[in-house]
Amino acid sequence: MGVEKSDIEQLRIWRENNERKSREILDLWLVSLWIKADADTLGNEKYLILEQVCIAALDCHILYVAKNCIETLAKEFPNSLRVRRLQAMFYEAKEDFEKATEILDSIIKIDENNSAARKRKITVLKAQGRTVAAIKELTEYLKIFMADFEAWQELSELYISEQDFNKAAFCVEELILHNPHNHLLHQRYADIKYTQGGVENLETAKSYYSQALKINPKNMRAIYGLYLTSSALATASKCAAPKKKEATKLVEYALKEIQNRYTEADVVVTSLAALEI
Amino acid sequence: MAIDLIVDPQIRVWVFLPIVLITFLVGILRHYVSLLLASQKKVETQQLQDSQLILRSRYLRENAKYIPKAAFLARRQAFNREEDGYLTQKRPAVTQNMMTDPSMMTEMVKGNLTNVLPMIVVGGWINWMFSGFITTKVPFPLTLRFKLMLQRGIELSHLDASWVSSASWYFLNVFGLRSIYTLVLGENNAADQSRQMQDQMSGAAMAMPQDPKVAFKAEWEALEIVDHQWALADVESKLIGEEKLKSD
Repeated sequence: MGVEKSDIEQLRIWRENNERKSREILDLWLVSLWIKADADTLGNEKYLILEQVCIAALDCHILYVAKNCIETLAKEFPNSLRVRRLQAMFYEAKEDFEKATEILDSIIKIDENNSAARKRKITVLKAQGRTVAAIKELTEYLKIFMADFEAWQELSELYISEQDFNKAAFCVEELILHNPHNHLLHQRYADIKYTQGGVENLETAKSYYSQALKINPKNMRAIYGLYLTSSALATASKCAAPKKKEATKLVEYALKEIQNRYTEADVVVTSLAALEI
Repeated sequence: MAIDLIVDPQIRVWVFLPIVLITFLVGILRHYVSLLLASQKKVETQQLQDSQLILRSRYLRENAKYIPKAAFLARRQAFNREEDGYLTQKRPAVTQNMMTDPSMMTEMVKGNLTNVLPMIVVGGWINWMFSGFITTKVPFPLTLRFKLMLQRGIELSHLDASWVSSASWYFLNVFGLRSIYTLVLGENNAADQSRQMQDQMSGAAMAMPQDPKVAFKAEWEALEIVDHQWALADVESKLIGEEKLKSD
């Protein structure tokens, strides 16, 4: 009994912290909880656990487990939209996208504001590789759910995959507005700006790499980014002289920082020679 | 005067305790009935969108300094544009169709069903069934003014004010069982009548859906006066400056 208890607790902790951990959840389920699912050992968390396991199983593509969970849940809650969403996800995992879309559409028809179903519809499009359609759907979604952090993030990634950097930058700006103290967002914004190129964008990229570094001095990618942007600026012909000087300073700084990191990490420094040229 | 009243112990068993029990059980019943009747509040898409819009605008105001000036201006433009910005768009008034909205009416009827009806029925029944008893005595002397409150249903001018009549005991229970309900049913239960009475008193039971126009106007104003100061303008030299300080 004691062992089971801790398993259930473990599942609860993962659930509450929004940790995906699909493989671990599935292992726990198959090893110890599977057999007792019918009994009351799971208590009143039974259905929550079933949902969690179902998603984990879909992640790992172990469909029979997922099917089992869905069937139990559907028997208990025949009209639940949440269960229907799981069914849609099941078909999605089976790559039966038409069926999945059909189910999701029916959910949206009943509950217009079901953001989870709308998001799943977008993932279906994404899974089919129809990025443009996914982007279109996602922008429609964002017109209603404007403050949805995850959706903006997803949209920025979709735009990046389409190489539409201007729009991707807009999305990341939105993300920064939501969470201005996340260094990864600043770094991502700088990445995009650096990729866009041009003196002005490089300047912006330089600032945002610096900001990312200021928030988290350990951000290696940001240091490299800073090095690349400022060296590009230092050699750019359009760049004004005082700015060039500043950029050169930053190059030196970044280089020194990188060297420090490597000596701290005790790595052979020969690979660094490439940067100094 | 020195001789105190002695209350029949039968009153304790057949009046005092039953009233406590009945009020308590009715409260529990109310809780479950209101759970049964409760319909999931359907949020209008429009309403949802409005709230998200305001949320986003607020983020923009608060964290504007972290995005470049051009990006901020573009966003403000989208929100505050003269004719079709997010915050300046024209909306039909929402308050008119309130009474004609059938779902609104059913909501109100349900509210009455679980609040007012048991109050009247149970209160009336208790008044009829247990009227005229002295049930208990508060352990401290009280002034005459309290007779009205504590001795409803007993019109005896010479009775000491600290005696409590059965009808008043019922009301004391109605208002006093709140913490017991929280203990038994958890927070935010529907059993507690006193809270609902407060709602009705303040008129909040008829709460109108908030007019987005007012909120939009306020948000528009706040956004309009934001002065954009890019926080990253000087970040590189700060980064290097710190470094210099460290090496000193």
